[in-house]
Amino acid sequence: MTNNEQTYTTPVTTASGNPIEVRDLHKSFGKNEVLTGIDLTVANGEVVTVIGPSGSGKSTLLRCLNRLEEVTSGEVLILGENIATAKGKNLDAVRQRVGMVFQHFNLFPHMTALENIALAPVELKMLSKADARKRALELLTRVGLEDKADARPASLSGGQKQRVAIARALAMSPGIMLFDEATSALDPEMVGEVLQVIRDLAASGMTMVLVTHEMGFAREVADRVVFMADGKVVESGAPADIFDNPQEARTQDFLSKVL
Amino acid sequence: MTLLRHPAHWWRENRLPLLAALTTMFILLFTVGGAVGIAHAATKPAANDSVKGQTFTIATDTTWAPFEFQRDGKLRGIDIDLIKAVAADQGFDVKIDVIGFDGALAAVTAGQADAVMAGMSITSEREKLFDFSNPYFDSGIQMAVAKNDDSVKAYADLAGKTVSAKTGTEGYAFAEKLGKEFGFTVTGFQDAADAYNDVTTGHSAAVFDDYPILAYGIATGNVDLKTVTPQEKASSYGMAVKKGANEALRKAFNEGLKNLIDNGEYQKILDDYLGEAAPKAATIGEGKAALGNDKLDPGKPGELPKNPAFAVDTPQTHGEFTIATDTTFAPFIYQLDGKNVGIDMDLIRAIAANQGFKVDIKPLGFDAALAAVTAGQADGVIAGMSITDERKKVFDFSDPYYQSGVQMAVAKDSDITSYKGLKGKTVAVKTGTVGYDFAKKLSAEIGFKVNAFQDSADMYNDVATGNSAATFEDAPVLQFGIASGNVPLKIVTDAEPGADYGFAVLKGHNAELLKMFDTGLQNAKDTGVYQQIIDRYLASDDAGTTSDNSFWSLVKTSIGPLSQGLVLTLLATALSILFAMILGILFGILKLSANPFLRFLASAYVNIFRGTPVLVQAFFFYFGVPAVTGQPLDALTAGVITLSLNAGAYITEIVRGGVQSVDPGQMEASRSLGLGWGSSMRRVVMPQAFKIMTPNLINQFIITLKDTSLLSVLGFAELTYQGRIVIASTFRSFEIWIVVGIMYFIVIWLLTVLSNWVDRKFNK
Repeated sequence: MTNNEQTYTTPVTTASGNPIEVRDLHKSFGKNEVLTGIDLTVANGEVVTVIGPSGSGKSTLLRCLNRLEEVTSGEVLILGENIATAKGKNLDAVRQRVGMVFQHFNLFPHMTALENIALAPVELKMLSKADARKRALELLTRVGLEDKADARPASLSGGQKQRVAIARALAMSPGIMLFDEATSALDPEMVGEVLQVIRDLAASGMTMVLVTHEMGFAREVADRVVFMADGKVVESGAPADIFDNPQEARTQDFLSKVL
Repeated sequence: MTLLRHPAHWWRENRLPLLAALTTMFILLFTVGGAVGIAHAATKPAANDSVKGQTFTIATDTTWAPFEFQRDGKLRGIDIDLIKAVAADQGFDVKIDVIGFDGALAAVTAGQADAVMAGMSITSEREKLFDFSNPYFDSGIQMAVAKNDDSVKAYADLAGKTVSAKTGTEGYAFAEKLGKEFGFTVTGFQDAADAYNDVTTGHSAAVFDDYPILAYGIATGNVDLKTVTPQEKASSYGMAVKKGANEALRKAFNEGLKNLIDNGEYQKILDDYLGEAAPKAATIGEGKAALGNDKLDPGKPGELPKNPAFAVDTPQTHGEFTIATDTTFAPFIYQLDGKNVGIDMDLIRAIAANQGFKVDIKPLGFDAALAAVTAGQADGVIAGMSITDERKKVFDFSDPYYQSGVQMAVAKDSDITSYKGLKGKTVAVKTGTVGYDFAKKLSAEIGFKVNAFQDSADMYNDVATGNSAATFEDAPVLQFGIASGNVPLKIVTDAEPGADYGFAVLKGHNAELLKMFDTGLQNAKDTGVYQQIIDRYLASDDAGTTSDNSFWSLVKTSIGPLSQGLVLTLLATALSILFAMILGILFGILKLSANPFLRFLASAYVNIFRGTPVLVQAFFFYFGVPAVTGQPLDALTAGVITLSLNAGAYITEIVRGGVQSVDPGQMEASRSLGLGWGSSMRRVVMPQAFKIMTPNLINQFIITLKDTSLLSVLGFAELTYQGRIVIASTFRSFEIWIVVGIMYFIVIWLLTVLSNWVDRKFNK
């Protein structure tokens, strides 16, 4: 981390000191149990990529980390707060510290790029309007889109949209960033620019969990790779271990298909 | 009607751009207005030939004492003496032809005789074939029974029995009609004496005849009968000439009659035959005969009458009185050029001017007028108010100043002349009127269908277009409509006897005012002023009330009330939309709530208000709720509550649909930033939802604006209501509904333009 950019540190209040601790997480949609007892710990500044076949529950796991999905049972400790049971303001307070980037960007179409980014800091009274604007411009500069401040999402390319979405997620200075297949909806020529932004972010020391299909990138950026199948963590470890020397048959089978 | 006549026209117009369509519509209206105007330029033949030295053949009845009968081989009677006296006065000769009543009428229509003088009642039916002189005798029908018969005291006692009458007379027609009601049969006789004998011999239980005939017979001791009921339905006798012929003779008769009344000669004739029961010659035909005029200049609505025998400059020394009245009850009270006019208004002003008191007219609406008098806020009420026993408990009434009653009218080209002609046909009536009740009763006897309308204009149109064969309506209302040229119908029967209208004061109060009214009314009747006022409104050849029938003058006089209505329409719409939006957003969000109870609440609300008609809801809030709570709601409040709740239900669904059609990822993105649900809704979801909802919301606003017209049934004076009120006095439904339609159209068009502008401005 030799660049002069802001370094993200995570104030942690749990005894273990880990920003993310998931214990025996179960999640069912009706009778269909898609997460069957997940245990996952992410350390401060750690970058974890989650890989696995479709329907393995990796996106659901990620969405449980800021409770976009209700948790059926288990504990989800995010920055010391068990958000599985957190209510109202407490939940919102945690979410302010957890940035999320979606596959389909989910930019607000009725706002400009700058307004998208400035919305949360102003609405949540974290920054004044002028300061929020200044910060939004900084973030846009950081993702290389300072010239698109007044553009509406409809006039941006997919890659540009996702970069604005990342800037928006960063607006509240989160301690954790979650990426849900952030490049899956992009045309191939745009994947690179988004990955570069994520790469820079990882280098800055941000605690991150990424669900991705980009195996090369998963390996490159991660401190640790988690392989999921059928609602379970099958195997996790250093990228080299998982990709070069998988222990489990499921992992071997999956990697043989995608690599 | 123009619509029907030019279907091709309308089809073409519908395809033209808006402006062209409107222009053509106006041109059409001009055509209609112009046509009506032309139709009103009535002409009257002028005839003033001298009758001196001429001989006229006068046809008369054989025996109808005291009007014509033989005594000592000599023809005499009131008719005979009178026509001879008139002839002497006017210097012409008469040849009397005694050929019986029916024969006399036939002789005149065939041109074999110049006039009928045979105690002939002036009826509207006969006026189609004859021109009548001024009335020379006021008569009525009376029932008589055998002197020793105590079993019949009222019409009801005649059930199952037989009565007699002379065929072709008013008495016969009356008995026939009564027979249907009370269940007795009528035997007709050619001669009155036979009809009387049928009763004295016990074959018939009673006889119906004109009161002077009966009175004369009984007075002279020639018939062993007695009268047990009061006389019915006054009619007047006149000398009749064939329609359009012998105008000179008719005029001469009127002139002669006037002279004979002036010099007392006619009174002598009456006294001669009727003794103490003789009427005052000067008051016959409400003074018409004595004045010798066919018609006094009726003057214009709202004016004081011009009549030399009726003072209108009496010093106003008897104080000022507040007179409450209805707002609109044409022809008795309505607004013309911003002035309160009508029979009631002109009459009370004339009486006040005659008796020397001042009046302050307060048009409050009928119920409010009565309430004002009972509360002492007004001194008297004149509002086409029927004299009823119920009301007599609270009010003291004047002498009756008008007898109302149901009358039948048919299309101008209709052949129907009596109730019988309605068999198997359809009759149009207005719900809740006496005409409706009468038609219902009559339909059982005759066998016709009754088609009920909410609105007089619709009812008249149904007859004019031939859908219905006839209509029944209050005589003055019907006559006013026809006289003003706005109802294209004709009257073919006499009015049925109905309610008497009276001027009223609070019981035990204002006795002096009541006395002045009665005196003034009597003066008005005696001098013909009363008839002058009536003629202003009900005489069919008088153009006074409709001097300008053009479309533009109609627009000019109606635009004021219509604009007031429009303001209330807009007010009710704006308030309703405001509250409906609040309700719609609230319940729309509840519908999306995770809480099943709140969802149920919202669904129940939507289902109730979407599942019942607005009109039912309006009635419920206006009539239903206050009936339970005892807390009356004014029409605007009840209307706004109704429309807010109704539109709110639809907006709930619009909001729910709009919110649901926003990508759920938007909410997720917003929540993931830490924004609460409320902020997310407000800043992220709603702005996008509104963009989706805009067309549906505009639709709903337009529907709500149009739905305000339903509030007219609550008496809320919005645009449609005002349209109905204007039509109630002008009967110009075609033009007024077009004007009202255009006003709605323009407002809705502006609302659409405004909404689209707002949409563009805020939903980029």
